[in-house]
This record gives sequence, C-alpha cells and structure tokens, in this order.
Amino acid sequence: MSTGEEAHTAMAERGNRKRRVGVKKGTKAARNKKLKSKPSTSDRFKVTMKNQKLFQKRAREYNSDEEEEDEAKKQPEVTIREKIFSDANMGPNYDVIEEDDDSDRDEHSDGEDHGEIESGVTKFATDGCNAFKIAFKAIMKKTKGDDVLGPVLSAHKHLIAEKLAEEDAEKKAKGQAKKAKHLIAEKGHVKPGSYLDANEKILIGVATKGVVKLFNAVNKAQHAQKGLNPSRAKDAKVLKKRRKEAFFSELGKTKPDTKAEKSSNDDEAPAWAPLRDNYMLANPKLKDWDKKQETSEGDDFAGLSGDESYED
Amino acid sequence: MGRFKNNKKSRVIVKPISKKNQEDVSHVTGDKIPKSFVFSRMKLPGSVKQLQMDLRKLMLPYTALSLKEKKRNTLRDFLNVSGPMGVTHFLMLSKTASALNLRVARTPQGPTLTFKIHQYSLASDIAQSQLRPRCPPDLFKTPPLIVLSGFGSQELHLKLATIMFQNIFPSIDINTVKLSTCQRLVLLHYNKDTKLIDFRHYSIRLQPVGVSRRIRKFVQNHQVPDLRNLQDVSDFVTKAGYGSESEGDEEAATVTLSSDLGRVNKGATKSAVKLQEIGPRMTMQLVKVEEGLCTGGIIFSEYGKC
Repeated sequence: MSTGEEAHTAMAERGNRKRRVGVKKGTKAARNKKLKSKPSTSDRFKVTMKNQKLFQKRAREYNSDEEEEDEAKKQPEVTIREKIFSDANMGPNYDVIEEDDDSDRDEHSDGEDHGEIESGVTKFATDGCNAFKIAFKAIMKKTKGDDVLGPVLSAHKHLIAEKLAEEDAEKKAKGQAKKAKHLIAEKGHVKPGSYLDANEKILIGVATKGVVKLFNAVNKAQHAQKGLNPSRAKDAKVLKKRRKEAFFSELGKTKPDTKAEKSSNDDEAPAWAPLRDNYMLANPKLKDWDKKQETSEGDDFAGLSGDESYED
Repeated sequence: MGRFKNNKKSRVIVKPISKKNQEDVSHVTGDKIPKSFVFSRMKLPGSVKQLQMDLRKLMLPYTALSLKEKKRNTLRDFLNVSGPMGVTHFLMLSKTASALNLRVARTPQGPTLTFKIHQYSLASDIAQSQLRPRCPPDLFKTPPLIVLSGFGSQELHLKLATIMFQNIFPSIDINTVKLSTCQRLVLLHYNKDTKLIDFRHYSIRLQPVGVSRRIRKFVQNHQVPDLRNLQDVSDFVTKAGYGSESEGDEEAATVTLSSDLGRVNKGATKSAVKLQEIGPRMTMQLVKVEEGLCTGGIIFSEYGKC
C-alpha cells in the first residue's frame, strides 16, 4: 500500500513540476510531499537490507587476494570440465542435471573459499595443486571417441546433428532447384559433334549452290564491263547505256510473267491483307519498304537486290 | 556550370545523328541500308545471352554491337532511338520457362514474326567442334549474303518471312559488287515436312582448283617449305601431293572468276567455293505473325486459327 501511495505522490510531483515550469518556488504542500517521499525510499532500502549478509560476503570475496582469486577462478573451470566429461554420456536430461550441479557448486565453492581464507597459501601449494592434477589426469585419460562433433559439444549433440541434417537437406533442395533452373536455361542448347552429319552436309550443299549462283551471275554481269572503268566519265556513260538496254530487254522478257503473277496475287490478295497491293501503302513512312519489296519480288533482271533466293 | 555542360553534351549528340543520316544511303545502290538492333527486354540466362551476342556479330556491320539495355527500357525507348539512328529491324530474344523465342520485327510499324527456337548452338560451340575454326580479321566488316531455300511462295506467311529476311541485310548490285566483300553467308532452309527453319551462318572461302595442295599452301602461307627430303627443287612442283578427294565431286561448287580475288584466286581461273560454319546455329519454327510491332492483329498463328 505504502509503495502505491509513493507512486501516486511521485506522479503528482512530476505533474506539478511540469505545470509550473515558469514558477520559481514550489508550494509548501509539494515540499511536504517531497519530505514524505524520502522516508519511503529508506523503506525500500530496508527491504534490500535483508540481503545485507550476502552482500558483505560477496564484497569479502571480491576484496580478497589475487592468488585466492586465481584459485577460485581455476577451480570452477575444472569442475565445469569434469562435469561435462562425466555427463557426456547422459544425453538429453543433461540440462536438468547441470542446473542442479550449478546450485551445488555454488554452495560448494562458497565453502571452499571460506577454507582458503583460513588456511591461506599453503593449501594452494598442496591440495589445490593436487586437485588440479587429478582433474587434468582425468581429462587426459578420457579418449576422445570417434564422434566427429567432439566431447565438448556433446551437450548439444542431437541439436547439432539435427541442424546439420537440416542444412544438408536445405543444400540438397537448393542444389536441385539450381539444377532445374539450369536445365530450363540450357533448354534447346545443343553442342554439335565434331563430325558433319548428313543434314549439315545437305545444308552446306544448298548454301554452296546459292553462292555459286550468285558468283556466276556477278561474273557474267561484270565480265561484260571488263576493261571499262566505272569511275571514268566516258566508260560510265557506256556502262549506263548498256545497263539501260539490258534493263529494257529484261523488262520485255519478264513482263508477261510478272503480269501472270500479279493476277494470281490479286485472286489471293483479298483473303490476306499484308500481301494486298495497297497494304499499308497509305502510310507514307513505309513507302521505301514497299518499293524494296516490289523490286525484290521481280528482281530476276540485273538484280538490284543480289540476295539469292530460290526454291528447291 | 551544370547547364553549360548539358549544352555541350546535347551538341555532341546531335552531330553524329546528322552524319548518320547521310550514311543511311549506300553509295553504290542508292538504297537505304537496313540497320538492326538485337536485344532482349528480360534477364537472359548465360547461354542465351551469348546467343544474343552471336546474333549481333552476325548482323554486323550495321548493328549496335554493344547495345546496353536496362530493365526499365521499354520497346518504345528502342523505337524512339531507332528513328533518328535509321534502325529498320529489331531482333528480340525472349526466354520463358517453356521456350526460347526470337522475334524479328520491321521497325516503325511491323510486321513482327515470332520464331520459336527449338535448338541452338553458339558460335563458340561450333568453333570447338571444328579442328581449325576460321576467323579472318575482316570477316565481320562486310554484311553477309543471305540464301533462302525451300520457302515456296504458296504459303503467305512464308512469303512474308522471305521478304523480311531479304530486306534485313543490305542489297547487292551485281554490276558493281566486289566478290572480296562476300565473306559470309546466312542460310535459311525451310523444311516442309517438319515446318522447321534451319538457320546457319557460314564463312565463304575461295580456293583455286587444279593446283596441288602443296603449292596452294606455299602461296597462301608465305612460308619457306621443307625441302629436306627432295632431290631437286623441281620435285616440289612436279611431285603431286595428294589432291583433295572432294575436289572431284564438287564440280558444281566451282566458279570461274572474272577478276582477281585476293592473292591466290586469279581471274579467269577456276576456284572452288568452300564454306565453313561460323556463328550461331538455330533450328526454329515460325509461330506467329503480328501486324504491328509486337502488337496488332495476328495475321498468322501456328497453333490456333486466326
């Protein structure tokens, strides 16, 4: 109840302070409250006074000599190790035992400390050393065992094993996912053999035919103008004339053919928009493209587009 | 300060564009040179990225070899750039879990052809499979020829594909073209039964016919031959080295040149055309044809009636 009141008063104080930031002096009541609050804090201290003995004890331990401290440090270490080794085979209920041990040890070590304080250095030279020796020998005698995880981690043996298994499974899953991804990425990627199979040979044959056809056409066309240098104005005129003649003669030859083609196209055209004669012609941007198309369609003459296309 | 910098930058950008507009038209034929972008708008796996790079190399010299695309780039961005740069074709790679697709589009307004790539091999794979992969330094400095075979003109979507691929590379004027510029060849072969298109990329090489291998190598390599085992210098010429067996049956693959081509192939002599595969190899299927640039009505669809 008293603590509750305290809290209330404290709150009130704070509130007052906040409200009266500009005011220099607090009221008497507030002062009284402050005074009242002081004894209550002493009450709080009193509660802690119950542990005074314990504090004193701890202080004594803390202020004792270095040697003693060393020993005190060493001994708990030894006990910890011993305990772990002894509990190595105990498995899952180890934790419970450890807690028990902890409490035991605290008491035990306290007792020891008292003894040390009484006996001083001599005991450290004989008994302490002996105990350490025994402990150390006990450790050395223990064989490590063929467990990979080692004895120190044996407390969490099953946990670690579980974790490792989990990691393994994760890795496997990741690897499989990666493999699947790689498979998808590499889908369709074929590495050719070192030999030429029949299909490739056929393809090379087709390509060769095309090249030969083009080269022969080029040679035929250029043979006629052999000896004439197109950069000279005189020769250029002659060349122009020849080409014109050739063009007209070709035109005369192919005219009926193209007409026939066109008529056939007209029959088909309405069914399919892109090949209609006026397909996208309305668009001025595509004018060039359409021109090209036309030339390439009827390019059997001097061949403005030299791209060879023929059908088997 | 910053403003001045920006002004400078904008000036620098404007200049090359005006230059490029002049370069758009080829000097010889007077046609507009088709240019291309090869890109993808999603993250590709490594091998497909490599395929994209191979395709860019194939499209050289009129393509953006080191085009950088970002995730936030939309098709519109590329389209906006393509206008001033004179880019006429887009090649877009896209990868889904089920398939790898190649879309070939004509720029401002389509049409778009979508190919499903069933199988592909990279240029590096093909180079690895060969004993002596060939890559002369000026191989990619000239555009390739294109050979289309098996595309009958009966089916309309195939006709459209033919037109598309014919126009994707610059046209050649037979009267003025130099054969030394014909270094590469792209072959598209349509198989009627399987409906698959074989896409191959070859390098073209001419070899004189009727000359023994030894002498040909001597002329080509510029190296002092090993004469230790010979009695006389004349033996080197007269002793017939084993001729190539394939020479006989490749009578069809010979060309009579009208002019010299390189150091080895003289005019008015017969030369054999040899092709060696380079670059990517693809087996693909025409799946869809769209009217616009990746939009618009579906003109043709392999799987469903349109």
